[in-house]
Amino acid sequence: MFKLAKPTLVAAAVAGSLVAGAVNAGEQFGLGRTATAEEIAGWDIDVRPDGMGLPVGSGSVLDGEGLYEAQCASCHGLFGEGEGRWPVLAGGQGTLADERPTKTVGSYWPYASTLYDYIYRAMPFPAPRSLTPDQTYAISAYVLYLNEIVDEDFVLTNENLADVKMPNEPNFFVDPRPDVANTRCMSDCADPAALQVTGSIGGVTPVGHFIEGADGPAASHDAQHELEKKMEMERLKELGVEVEEEEASSEPAALSEAAVAGEATYNMACVACHGAGIAGAPAVGDKAAWEARIARGMESMISNAINGYAGDNGVMPAKGGRADLSDEAVANAVAYMAESSQ
Amino acid sequence: MGNIIKGPSTRELMQQLVTDSEGMTVNDRRDFLRKGIAAVGGMAAATVAGGVSAADNAMVNSTNLPPNEPSWGRMLGHGVIEYPYGQPSKYESHVVRRTVPWLTAESISSISMTPLHELKGIITPNGLVFERYHGGVPTINPEEHRLIIHGLVERPLIFTMEDLMRFPSVSVIKFLECPANGGMEWRGTQMEALQFTHGMLSCCEWTGVPLKALLEEAGVKPEGKWVLAEGADGAHMSRSIPLEKCLDDALIVYAQNGEMLRPEQGYPVRLMNPGWEGNTSIKWLRRLEVGDKPWYHREETSKYTDLMADGTARKFTFVQECNSVITSPCPENPIKGSGMIEIEGIAWSGRGKIKQVDISFDGGVSWTPANLKGLVLEKALTRFSLVTKWDGQPWLLQARAIDETGYVQPTLQQLRDVRGTESIYHKNAIHTWQVSNTGEVKNVQVS
Repeated sequence: MFKLAKPTLVAAAVAGSLVAGAVNAGEQFGLGRTATAEEIAGWDIDVRPDGMGLPVGSGSVLDGEGLYEAQCASCHGLFGEGEGRWPVLAGGQGTLADERPTKTVGSYWPYASTLYDYIYRAMPFPAPRSLTPDQTYAISAYVLYLNEIVDEDFVLTNENLADVKMPNEPNFFVDPRPDVANTRCMSDCADPAALQVTGSIGGVTPVGHFIEGADGPAASHDAQHELEKKMEMERLKELGVEVEEEEASSEPAALSEAAVAGEATYNMACVACHGAGIAGAPAVGDKAAWEARIARGMESMISNAINGYAGDNGVMPAKGGRADLSDEAVANAVAYMAESSQ
Repeated sequence: MGNIIKGPSTRELMQQLVTDSEGMTVNDRRDFLRKGIAAVGGMAAATVAGGVSAADNAMVNSTNLPPNEPSWGRMLGHGVIEYPYGQPSKYESHVVRRTVPWLTAESISSISMTPLHELKGIITPNGLVFERYHGGVPTINPEEHRLIIHGLVERPLIFTMEDLMRFPSVSVIKFLECPANGGMEWRGTQMEALQFTHGMLSCCEWTGVPLKALLEEAGVKPEGKWVLAEGADGAHMSRSIPLEKCLDDALIVYAQNGEMLRPEQGYPVRLMNPGWEGNTSIKWLRRLEVGDKPWYHREETSKYTDLMADGTARKFTFVQECNSVITSPCPENPIKGSGMIEIEGIAWSGRGKIKQVDISFDGGVSWTPANLKGLVLEKALTRFSLVTKWDGQPWLLQARAIDETGYVQPTLQQLRDVRGTESIYHKNAIHTWQVSNTGEVKNVQVS
């Protein structure tokens, strides 16, 4: 790989003679080849506010509802309100000048085309590029509906998408910076008696990194989730809500050899969804969610994990989207997840 | 181990003792561990900001100090290619990227920060360059990677990595900064360490091909005004870049600091827009489409636009304006004792070279010129220094950079007056460290 000689002087001279007198300086190196229309079409997924790039297709709000609930709601919430720290999609109109603005598709995004483009290129988060154009139109229509931009009987198509006007479009303007003009004052630049010094709010900051080391609560998303879960349990208990204590695992169940081997793969490839249980994925440790799956047998679980699986609550892409993993690595990761959840 | 805010935990000290005793004879080791454990017990609760000598002593095996011959002088070390790709000393294991978990929902679409407080000079080692992913790091076989240039061009082209690497290469030292660097502190301080206030910032030597050369190869049509750059990762990150930038100093880079790009940085090839917000320098670059208008994709509408106090928003806020911060002292690097000290820091500007940096000890009432040291390069980190005396007096320490356009780094109040506190991006305000009479350093804001 990459053991190429630099172009020799001879080659450069030959190439140079080809362009002598050419209007365009282009063909100096003649590297690369013409991309075929087919090659471009496969990757040319972008769309623009004027509708350029939209494939022929359509989807209704009604179709979008089911798709949204299956593919999107586990992170973005049933009404676009956002679960956890996942993006809020709906609401917030009229809040942009508030103390705490809520930026959503409806309150902030200037163009509806961005919705189609982004869903088609990157969503759903665990399985990008798994949606068809029609599904993308339908989900886009539903998100517009959640934001009260279209009615419930609306059908979004390549013909009408550019006509959907977003309420916040007029409020964007091009960067005017530099927008402040400080001067290089050297003395008596401020009144020392009037200086107000404010420090940080204790406990918010992640100094735990340095105190507690790499596995401290402040250092990783996993540890943060654990910490927040604990705090929520304590809050509920204080409110007098009966909470089911997690059984203190006095001695963690011994894992099989396959499961031990699968832990690393899980941490690398599966934890994004199976850690917190997003996009319909059963969360590791959620016994109820795993019970029925385990009952159907390892073979079925492994087969679904390797080949992919479309269920009512979401999509498991083949090998979780990690085609680079071997079948054995996936099987081991399944063993790890299942054994850690019973 | 001196560069920590507080003393290490008992568990860490114990681990360190065990590690340090490796290679000793059995008797030496037993003796060492016994002494060490006693020391740990004595200082575990001590806070040691401003002077970690107690912790240092607990780590040090006096039999390795003069006049004794240290243990490593009485044995042989490992030979060549024991580690075919070398790693830092095990004693540098605290020099790592760190994240702030509550900033993002999970770690796949997230950010980590460079430990600026540990770095020397202006180059960020490849393993410490801050990370920003929107769909995790893809594993790309370079033999299977392609870059397509199409749209308003005379000849749509497809390149292999071999093709790209046959173009004459250029190498430039440029900073790379996330525009959200410091963005958590528009309303007030939240971060108690330099790594978190300014660590979405790195500087490398990048090697690749001017984008201009590739666009000339394809032949941009006269109506071409914008270029959409798109990544090959699961997020297929995309940004619209004005053609002027593409023909000016934008590069297609495949190497950083002398080796092929790290996967985290876009292996095998990325876009590099010097001086512009990091998000525009699309990693894992697979496609460039020339068009007559911008695309208004998610990363240039929903994100990477700057909301003003009146509810309007700025778009295409590309430039990372002139900025600076003091890296020593800082919360992770307290002043260790009275006497002569060197105040050091870094300054940078997306509009060119740094011309001057001034330092204030009194929260911006009066200023003293600092010296620039080492390389002073366009759109690169530039190191500044001021040697002075500290005798335990409290300071409100600030740095203020000026770039070659004459732009003077603003105060936070000046930025807030124009932009409010909800714009997230592009906070390049003068930063304040409060140095206490013990030498401890806190992140504060002065108004």
